[in-house]
Amino acid sequence: MDICLNQKEKILEVKNITKEFPGVKALTNFNFDLKKGEVHCLIGENGAGKSTFIKILSGAFKPNSGEIYINNGKHYYLTPYLARKTGIQTVYQEDVLVPQITAAENIFLGSEIDNQKFFINYNKTIKLAENLAEQIGINIKVNEIYERLSPSDQQFVKILKALAQKPQILILDEPTQAFNIKDIGIIIQMVKKISREGVSVIYIVHNLDEIIQVADRVTVLRDGIKINTHDKNSETLNSANLAKEMVGRPVDLFYKKKESKIGDFVFEVRGLKFTQSSKEINLKVREGEILGIAGLKGAGRSKIARAIFGALKKYKGKVFYKDKDVTPKNPIKAVQEGLALLTEDKKIDGLFMGMPVDQNITIVGLDKLGKFFINLIKEKKFSEDYINKLNIKTPYLNKEVRFLSGGNQQKVVLAKWLFKDVNILIVDEPTHGIDVNAKTEVYELFTSLAESGKSIIMISSEMPELISISDRVIVIRNFEISKELNRDEITEENILSGFME
Amino acid sequence: MKIKVLNNKNINKNSDERLSIIRRLSFLNSQITYLVLVIIIIGIIATVLNPNFLTLRNFFNIMQQISVLGILTMCMSLLMISGGLDISIGNMAGLVAMIFAKMLIAGESITISVITVLAIALILGFINGVIIAKSKVTPLIITLGMNYVFLGVALIIGGGRPQTIIGQFEFLGEAKVGLVPVAIIIYFLIFLFAFFLRKNTKYGRRFNAIGGNSQAAFLSGINVDWHVISIYALSGLIVGLAGLVLVSRLGMVRANSGSDFALQALAAAIIGGITFEGGRGSLIGAFFGVLLLGILYNAMNIIGISSYLQTIVLGAIIVIATVISNIGKMRR
Repeated sequence: MDICLNQKEKILEVKNITKEFPGVKALTNFNFDLKKGEVHCLIGENGAGKSTFIKILSGAFKPNSGEIYINNGKHYYLTPYLARKTGIQTVYQEDVLVPQITAAENIFLGSEIDNQKFFINYNKTIKLAENLAEQIGINIKVNEIYERLSPSDQQFVKILKALAQKPQILILDEPTQAFNIKDIGIIIQMVKKISREGVSVIYIVHNLDEIIQVADRVTVLRDGIKINTHDKNSETLNSANLAKEMVGRPVDLFYKKKESKIGDFVFEVRGLKFTQSSKEINLKVREGEILGIAGLKGAGRSKIARAIFGALKKYKGKVFYKDKDVTPKNPIKAVQEGLALLTEDKKIDGLFMGMPVDQNITIVGLDKLGKFFINLIKEKKFSEDYINKLNIKTPYLNKEVRFLSGGNQQKVVLAKWLFKDVNILIVDEPTHGIDVNAKTEVYELFTSLAESGKSIIMISSEMPELISISDRVIVIRNFEISKELNRDEITEENILSGFME
Repeated sequence: MKIKVLNNKNINKNSDERLSIIRRLSFLNSQITYLVLVIIIIGIIATVLNPNFLTLRNFFNIMQQISVLGILTMCMSLLMISGGLDISIGNMAGLVAMIFAKMLIAGESITISVITVLAIALILGFINGVIIAKSKVTPLIITLGMNYVFLGVALIIGGGRPQTIIGQFEFLGEAKVGLVPVAIIIYFLIFLFAFFLRKNTKYGRRFNAIGGNSQAAFLSGINVDWHVISIYALSGLIVGLAGLVLVSRLGMVRANSGSDFALQALAAAIIGGITFEGGRGSLIGAFFGVLLLGILYNAMNIIGISSYLQTIVLGAIIVIATVISNIGKMRR
């Protein structure tokens, strides 16, 4: 380890970090530094490279090239152990603690108060957790079972758990997602307080107001490249400018969709509500139209899709197809009415990973293959047809789908619904985790499906996707439609402003 | 619907067809080949030690001995493929046999008794299915409880005493069609029924899918609850048949006559490559799993190994088979 004297007050500096995944450059020559007691915000869209960066800092990913200096010690990569040892603590969005034990026990889990060798001192644990919470101005019941806490309190517990390790660098990955204004205020106060005490904070956030309140500096990322770093007092630090920097991709990143004919409104969701007090969600889709649904993760997009499909309980709401009430009370009914739901995570609830490709393709439309017995010859022929049509790459028909690549699995999911001959496809993050070429193929498929008169409701977090293949976009924020954009209004700025209001 | 055919190279007939054959063979290569191999080895050892082992008579003898276990293993396998499990099937068969014996002793006709107990068995399976499907509690716990309920009811009905019906109902257990015992024929028919139900029917495909991923099945518009309930009910019906074969073979029944069968059926299914995860496994494998247990017992008897040692061997075989079937997974 060599020591660079000119980096005195910087406790963290990364130089020329590049991280590649097969087919994607998640970070390109990224430079970043963090000073003692500073709050440094990172902003950028989904896929801009923020998560990759913090995963490198927490030791989950190994960068392909570049250097990381922590307290002037030079590293080429970190391991989770090393990250923790050097005082880096990360609070991830999707972090899960142990639901069945108390908040206090969770906070000290893995670093139990070690005055005794074997037994845990509960009273002391609770006392210490209370002190910790008090110190940073959070008021929670630390002796409550974790799963009984509200989502925002759970978030506080995660942060307390990180702080209990006395970090010198705290990384917060969208800590205020799905928070109300009061809780956002508490987080902001807390961050300010701990930074005054000398902890440096990397804060990832979408809400521009929040940034302006909390940040000492703001770094904008786009497609793995650092666009700019702004100082707290500089004139460039304003919402309009930040939004502009986050967007503005070169045009060649967009898929060019052919113009196609769009028919009349055929599908309608009327008055969908999850609770009595929530706002009504109304949406209409035309024949042959691709309706994009934008919104941040956790804004309620997937839940709305499931509620439409009858897979999730709703308080109220009707679904119409060609003016006929087809409101499905369960997915069985939804499938009968010609609705399809392509879920976000194929492994969890889209595919039968241990079953062969052909059986996955035919499972929804089995009725086409016979009354009681399955015509296995027909099944083989039909599934071969779809494998060809959708260009699914599989060595043979009865290969288990778990051996296929993500892109091909996605196409199997699509084939499964097309075989059933559905009219309305609700697709949730259709290109999540698949490579660029497979993405283009999926877009082409969607376009030709729309041409053939099917309507597609596409939930997506990917801007280029929303912009290039949607005919219309609805932005969802906190279970409400915050914006509706027609073809010529679909721009990244407009969508982003819908996220943030 | 028009979808552009992007290119047609994805199914390259020549190389892939060949690969597919190799793959299919290597699929066989896994559990079933091992099983057959082990069965042959045991057969050779037993024959060397006692030539009487390798006779048609002994083979039928073995098959007849395993017929009840075999039928119950088919139930267990179907349930496990659908993501379930029923460890009450042994005592359920015992209860059914007990009711049947009581009815015969009370002077009821064979036809009415058979129909009655099959209906009862169907209902018992149905009850298991409803509780499991609706409560979403793991089937292990539910059927563990039901296991004792069935045993208790059988004890009450039989007054704790064995019920003898020797000579009154021998057709299913002891009669022969030509050379072949009826029990074997029933076992074989049940095996074929289960095999084709699973492979060639929509119903079978759907419960298979539920076992593979019940959440995906639900979102694919499959009526998950109905399939779960009906597969338990169907299994109950087959258990009823097994109970009849059991009482016919023994000529008498005790409340606990079926108790050992459930775990043995579970063992046979697992030895045959059926997994707890569901959605996978082959009924042919389960068939050979039963055969292995039967031949092992028979061989040990013929060689003269003590029954205490036999119990240890049975346990060891289960452990070894499960570990072997998991080696593939560890490699993956």
